Amino acid sequence: MKSSLWPGIKLVFVKEVTLGLRFKAAWAAMLMFALTTLACVSMALQGAPLEPKLAAALLWIILFFASMAGADRSFVDEDMAGTLSTLKLYGAAQMVLWGKLLYTGFLLLCLTVFITPLFLLLTGAEVVLGGVFMGTLLFGTIGISAAGTLIAALTCGAQVKSGLFSILMLPVILPVFLPAIFLTAGALGGGSAPLSYLVGMALYDGVLLMGASVLFDYLWYED
Amino acid sequence: MRAILGLLTLLVLGLVFFVVPPAEGLGYYVRLAFFHIPVAWVAVLAFFISAFEGGRFLQKGEMLADAKSAAAAQLGFFFVILATVSGAVFSKLTWGAYWNWDPRQTTIFVLLLIYGAYLTLRGAMPAGRRRAKAAAVYALFSFLTVPFLVFIIPRLYFSLHPSPVINGSGLAMDTVMLAVLMAALVDVTGIFYGLYKWQTKRLLAEGENV
Amino acid sequence: MITIEFSEVSQSFHGRQIFGPLTVKLHSGRITAVTGFNGSGKSTFLKLAGHLLLPTKGEVTVSADDGVLRQAALRERLAMVTPELRFYDRLTARENMDFFLGLRGISLTDAAYRQLLERVELSAKAAHAAYTGEFSTGMRQRLKMAVLLAAQADIWLLDEPGANLDEAGRAMVAREVRAAARQNVLVALATNDPGEEALADEIIALAGD
Repeated sequence: MKSSLWPGIKLVFVKEVTLGLRFKAAWAAMLMFALTTLACVSMALQGAPLEPKLAAALLWIILFFASMAGADRSFVDEDMAGTLSTLKLYGAAQMVLWGKLLYTGFLLLCLTVFITPLFLLLTGAEVVLGGVFMGTLLFGTIGISAAGTLIAALTCGAQVKSGLFSILMLPVILPVFLPAIFLTAGALGGGSAPLSYLVGMALYDGVLLMGASVLFDYLWYED
Repeated sequence: MRAILGLLTLLVLGLVFFVVPPAEGLGYYVRLAFFHIPVAWVAVLAFFISAFEGGRFLQKGEMLADAKSAAAAQLGFFFVILATVSGAVFSKLTWGAYWNWDPRQTTIFVLLLIYGAYLTLRGAMPAGRRRAKAAAVYALFSFLTVPFLVFIIPRLYFSLHPSPVINGSGLAMDTVMLAVLMAALVDVTGIFYGLYKWQTKRLLAEGENV
Repeated sequence: MITIEFSEVSQSFHGRQIFGPLTVKLHSGRITAVTGFNGSGKSTFLKLAGHLLLPTKGEVTVSADDGVLRQAALRERLAMVTPELRFYDRLTARENMDFFLGLRGISLTDAAYRQLLERVELSAKAAHAAYTGEFSTGMRQRLKMAVLLAAQADIWLLDEPGANLDEAGRAMVAREVRAAARQNVLVALATNDPGEEALADEIIALAGD
């Protein structure tokens, strides 16, 4: 009856996808929220040309807040539906963490793929360094998913939930956020985009993933 | 302990106001540094203690460790505010602007955000083991940002701070100033330690009623 | 051989003591009923037994032949039926079972699945076609029993397993509980139902405060 890790992770991931497909409202809400944020920013600019630095900052602010609306649900929804206790009983910590983390990553990647082209289109910003741009978006997404999954589990016992997730997320995600803005600015033609930053982001992502994995056990098991 | 700290505080104040000479380029504004540097040091120290005690709680499950972690974070929040404000004033007096996202300012600001987030999390949960656990996990998770604060931020932002404060290469520190600074550091750390003990006891007593 | 040992365990919520100090020992192959009026801490007792909650004072030790069980090692040998457990409303009964049992590394063949549904007297048609969100409370209770039976666990923690079931359902629960005890499963049963109490080899009456 020893259950191995990978099939368990896959089960959790597939379960999340199935539920996501059957309950499309959650996806719709997340994408609409992203679109609203994007529309808000681009309308406020009224088509004024954007400096690469400013464009980069705006893109990441939109991505950050849009992800906050998508990533915080993973444990709270289960808690409210009452399925969290069943999941705790039958699922081992690492299966649940990695399954959910993969799903959150998938969700945020979809979100990024949805927002970024629209953002470039609406603001007229041009990507000069495609590879750096893609890499930055990818590492940013991984970092947000890693931190987001752990913090979503953390906040699910809290009585006051609104805003708490973002409050806890920001300081932890800053080490991804700031280099990402810097690199994105470079990729949009505003200054240099040193590869060492990209490496730094990847390293920090690794640290977050490991930290989340180690700490999640404590949240999952009472004893 | 209290008497010694009181005397030391008086001594440091006396030294700062009557003995320390005006620094080159800073004049008497340098007096503020003897407050600002120790307070900032304690703010960082409290962060380490909070994370360390959080780790101890996860290992041993003793509510004492949770109370210590919380006490350190509460005091850390207080000290980080003092450090931020005194830093901003110092910055205005010497560089002409309250805030300019200098690396140390950024670091201290991130620290402020972390403390704020930690205390908000505690406030949002009912007292008990679950809260202790969540708080400890967050204290450790946010501790992962330390390498970033130390190594990456200084590269991202241009600095106006005299870099290695202690060896005196930036701020011309003579022996007298250095000695006074050390005394101030010991003094403020002592005050922090006293408050930390006291607050831990208080939190523990509160926790038992819950 | 599995034992769950409570030594000087007491539990309080917000300063109010729910029960204790309690010292008891539960053995595999035996059915232990936990009784007491509402609020006396029956459900809490089960959670403590499964380490889903840590006691305010005292210690709960679960041991098997190969040592003390904790965390994942304990969870893997645990199965429960409680009112708090819920299934995914937007998955069918089969999908729910495949998911939760799959997490334990158990996969059911179609035949085993059909057999299981028959054992808990759940219509296969309903189980296949409908999401569990559309199930009645009684059907959900039967589905919980089905997962419990298939989980091959050594420890059963049951909180009013007969609740919301008709007479046939309660008889099914009684039958399965007895059969499990014969298979050397440790059964702890929180109940106020005289019929379920009668199943027990031992009764722990929680007085409350």
